[in-house]
Amino acid sequence: MRRGDATELPRDDQVGDEERPKKKQKTAPQVKPANIIKLAVSPNQQHAVAVTDDKHVRVFSLFDGNLVELSQRCMPKRPCAIQVLPENTTIICGDKFGDVYSLPLLPETATEVDTEPGAAKDTAPEADTGKPAFKPSATNLTVHTQRNRKALEAQMQQKAFSAKKEALQFEHKLLLGHVSMLTDVAYATRKVDGRERGYILTADRDEHIRISRGPPQSHVIEGYCLGHKEFVSKLCLVPGMNLLISGGGENELYVWEWPSCTLKRTIPLYDAMLSMQVPGSKESYRAYSKDGVQIPSGSGKNLAISGLWTVPCQVAGDKKETVLMVAVERMPGLYIMPTNWLPLTSGEELGLTLLDLEYPPLDVACTADSVIVSLDAREEGQARVRAYQLRHAEGQKQVWRVECTRDEEFEKKLQCANTRSVADTGVGAKALDDLLYGVANLRKRRGWGDSGKAGDDELEGGAGMEDAPED
Amino acid sequence: MAGPPKKRQKRDDIKQEGQMPQKKFYRQRAHANPFSDHDLKYPASPAAMDWSQHYPAFAATVPAGVPNDDPIATPDHDKQNHLQPISKQVQVADIGCGFGGLLFALAPKMPETLILGLEIRTSVTEFVQEKAKALRVQHASTGLYQNVSCIRANTMKFLPNFFVKGQLSKIFLCFPDPHFKARKHKARIVSTTLNSEYAFVMKPGGKVYTITDVEDLHVWMAEHFAAHPSFERVGEEELEGDECVGTMRTETEEGKKVERNSGTKYVVVFRRLEDPPWP
Repeated sequence: MRRGDATELPRDDQVGDEERPKKKQKTAPQVKPANIIKLAVSPNQQHAVAVTDDKHVRVFSLFDGNLVELSQRCMPKRPCAIQVLPENTTIICGDKFGDVYSLPLLPETATEVDTEPGAAKDTAPEADTGKPAFKPSATNLTVHTQRNRKALEAQMQQKAFSAKKEALQFEHKLLLGHVSMLTDVAYATRKVDGRERGYILTADRDEHIRISRGPPQSHVIEGYCLGHKEFVSKLCLVPGMNLLISGGGENELYVWEWPSCTLKRTIPLYDAMLSMQVPGSKESYRAYSKDGVQIPSGSGKNLAISGLWTVPCQVAGDKKETVLMVAVERMPGLYIMPTNWLPLTSGEELGLTLLDLEYPPLDVACTADSVIVSLDAREEGQARVRAYQLRHAEGQKQVWRVECTRDEEFEKKLQCANTRSVADTGVGAKALDDLLYGVANLRKRRGWGDSGKAGDDELEGGAGMEDAPED
Repeated sequence: MAGPPKKRQKRDDIKQEGQMPQKKFYRQRAHANPFSDHDLKYPASPAAMDWSQHYPAFAATVPAGVPNDDPIATPDHDKQNHLQPISKQVQVADIGCGFGGLLFALAPKMPETLILGLEIRTSVTEFVQEKAKALRVQHASTGLYQNVSCIRANTMKFLPNFFVKGQLSKIFLCFPDPHFKARKHKARIVSTTLNSEYAFVMKPGGKVYTITDVEDLHVWMAEHFAAHPSFERVGEEELEGDECVGTMRTETEEGKKVERNSGTKYVVVFRRLEDPPWP
C-alpha cells in the first residue's frame, strides 16, 4: 500500500466504526504521506472510508481481507466526521468549517475524478458558478467604511477577475452547515407511524447539538439539545433507545432523549475518577500527574472527552447488551458502563468501571464479541492493539461492574499490528501529540482581556481599531 | 479595550438619567469577525435567558428570584427556576441593529410587540441600551419604548441560544457587512446553511426583511433565500403595503446615509413557509 499504513488496519473485515488515527507515520522529508484521521465502514461491511489529513476522502473495497482503494476525493476543508448511511450508498461528511456534505459512496467516474475536471456537475446550492465578467461589487454611490472601500478598490485593480473558488469535481451535496467549528456528526433513525425517519445530529465547539432532518430535507432543523457549558466533541447514539450521549470539555457526559431534545441526566466522570480504585493500586488520575502530560490551562479539573463508543457485552448465558465506553484525552484507561442504566433518573448513582490500560486509547472498534482498542504505544515491542471481551455479571453486589478480560485468541489475529516494526522517522513526540490529541485545544480561553476587546478582531490582524467612523 | 479609555471615561462623565447617549462616544470599527470567539455572554438555552432585565415593564408580576445584576442570565440551567418570567416573548429581531435607528422607529409603531436588536459590537450595543433607557424615562407618561432592547450577540453562532423554534415573526437584516472578497463570503449574514437557522427560529408566515445598497450583496441575499426551500419571496405589491418596508428604508442609520449619498436601496423580503411533511 502506498501510504504504508494499511497493515495497521485489522485484516479481517471487523474494522471499527470511525477514527483510528494512525499511530506512527513514516515520513520521508520529501514525500509526506498522509495520515489517516478518520475511518468508517459501511454498515454492510463491504467498504471502508478513510479520511486523510490531506483532506481526501478515500473509499476502499473490503474483499477477502484485502483493501483496494477505489476512489479518492479532495474535500474543500478537512473532514472531521464521516459516516456511511444505512442504505450503504451515501457518505455523509462533516468538515471543521461547519459544513456537512453527502457524497455517493461509489462515484460514477471514480477513476477519472481527479483527471477530468468539469465532468461532474456541482449540486451544492452554495457553489458559485463563477461570474462571467468582472463587475465591481458596488458602485461609487455605495456607502462605505474604509475597509470595504479598500476591498472594493483592490477588486477593481484586479483586472482579470476570476472566480477563485473552484467547484468540486465530483457529485456532492451541501446538506447543512454551522458557523461554529463542527466537531462530530451522527446519523440517527427512528420509526414514526411505521415509517423510518432519518436525522443528522451535529455537534460544535460552541456547545450546540443540532438535530436536522436527514436528506432530502436536511434544510429543516428539528431542534437543538442545549445545555453544554463547554465545547461538545463527541456524540454517541445508543442503539435501541432514543438516547444520545454527548461529551466534550466538561467533567460530565450528557444523556439526551434526542427526539424531544430533552436532557435526561448527566453522568459525572471526574468524581468517579477520583473515587475509583483501580486494580493494581495505580491511581486512576495518574495521567494528569505524569510528566509531560499537560493539564489544560487553568482548568486542572476539566476533562476533554476524546471518544464515546457503544460496544457489545456478554450478560449471563448468551444474552448480550450494550455498554458505553468513554475515553478521556490522554488518560490511559476507558470508562465502561452498561447502557441499560442510562434511562435511570438523575440522582440515582451510576456505576462506572475503569478498564486500566498501559497507554491512552486512541480508538475502539468491535466485532460481534470482541472489543479492540488501539493504544498510543510509541516504542517498539509494545502492544499497539489489544482485544478484550466484556462481561456484565448480573446479581453481583456491584451490579454495574463490567468485567474485562483480554481476548488472547483475537489478539493473535492482530499480532502483525503489534509486532510490525515501524521505522523511526524522526517524527517528534510533539508532532504526534498534535496529531493525536487535539480535543483539549477546543477549549475557549475565556475571561482574558476586558469585555470590549473581542468585537473588533479581524482575522488578518486587527490594526486600526477605530478606523471607520460610521457617518 | 473597547475604544480609547478616554472615550469611555467621557461617556460615563456625562451620563445622566434620561439623557440621550451621544454617538460620538460609542463609535466602533464597523467590522467584527463572526468566526472568532470574542468574549460573549449568552444563555446556554433560551430557557436560561432572563428577559425581564431587558423588558422590565413586561415582567410577569409574580415576585420571583434573586435580582440578577448581569443583564444576560448566566449560562447555568440550574438557575432557570430563579428567572423572572415575562408576559410576552420577543417576536421581532433586528440582526446587526447598529445604533438602533430601526428599533426606535418600530417600537412606538408596535408598542405591544417586543423588539430586540442584536449587535456584535460592544460599544454600539451599549449605546442602544443607553438610548432605550433614556427614551423610556423621557416617555414615562406614555410607556413607550418599553418594548425595545438590545443585546450583544453573534447571531451567526448563537441565534438558537436566544430564541426557541418558531418564536419570531419578523427578522430584519439591514445593511449587513457586504464582505466583498470571495474568500469572506462565508462571513456573510445570509447563506443557504445559515438560512436554515433563521427558518428554525421563525414561525411559518413570518418574514425576513433585507435591505442593502450593495447590489452584489442584494443579489446574493435574494438568491440564497430563494434557493432555500423554507422561504418564498414576497411580491412587490405586498411590499408596498408593508409598513415595515417603508420604515426600514427611511429610518435605519445606514438608510439615511445612503439617502444623503443618493445611492440605491435594494429591498427584498422573504416569507417563512411551513415545513414540508416527512417523506
